[in-house]
Amino acid sequence: MIGDWTIILSYLISIIVSFVVALIIKLPLTGEKPIRFSWVNSATFPTPIIAIGLLALCFSINFYWIMNGLALAIIFGVISPFIVKYLFDYIFPEPPVLDELSKESD
Amino acid sequence: MNEILGIILATVVCWLNFILIDTYFGLPEQPGVKGAEIIGKSIEKRGGDLAGGFFQGNILCSPDASAGTLMASIAVMLLGFNGGILATFFIYIGNRLCADPGYAGTIGAISTTIIITILSFIGFTPIMFVVGMVIAITTIQGIYHPYSTKLLGKIAKRLGRYPKL
Repeated sequence: MIGDWTIILSYLISIIVSFVVALIIKLPLTGEKPIRFSWVNSATFPTPIIAIGLLALCFSINFYWIMNGLALAIIFGVISPFIVKYLFDYIFPEPPVLDELSKESD
Repeated sequence: MNEILGIILATVVCWLNFILIDTYFGLPEQPGVKGAEIIGKSIEKRGGDLAGGFFQGNILCSPDASAGTLMASIAVMLLGFNGGILATFFIYIGNRLCADPGYAGTIGAISTTIIITILSFIGFTPIMFVVGMVIAITTIQGIYHPYSTKLLGKIAKRLGRYPKL
């Protein structure tokens, strides 16, 4: 059984690693202002959310692999910035603008 | 802890959590999609407030902090702390599918997971938050729109998130 603190530590490590790797591969630190309406994918959002989300998926099915889950934390921390940078637009395409849609239907 | 007292306190915590986060992230400020605009204008026509109407339209049209709070409570009840984080991830995916940047929903879900985890040390259970959130969302969406939107509009004005039209 993995302790609560080890799990929390894994999430923190995943957040920190994803943040640092995101900055290394030159994702912006934050979105453009005002940040609450920004669509830019940055090192602060959503990179750590994807890292801890994938980690939570493994932990929820009791898959911890080696080092009590810390290895998984580092792996997801490293791959999530690459997902955000290179695969994101493929997974979540840009929402179509309403004007373009109405023109198409005309 | 007494169950009824726990549900009442959880309702207050959930209500504050989702209203403050949704308002801070600009839900009353502008309609994210066309449907939210139509709902906002319709509520205004029936004597409500436009900012509150946009707020209601936005929480109907994409999973914001209200859905985040409810989903995180249910996931913590089922899977513990990991479930809360997993709910956050799913809420983020849901947000992107609804053409929403996803700040309010994910931060609402994370904050709920953390609040439930901390409050579980003093006797609160996740199920109290599930019931509390259902009551909290009913007070906003289910009783009388003109009054609830006026209250949401006042909160939006106080936080500087009133629509600039």
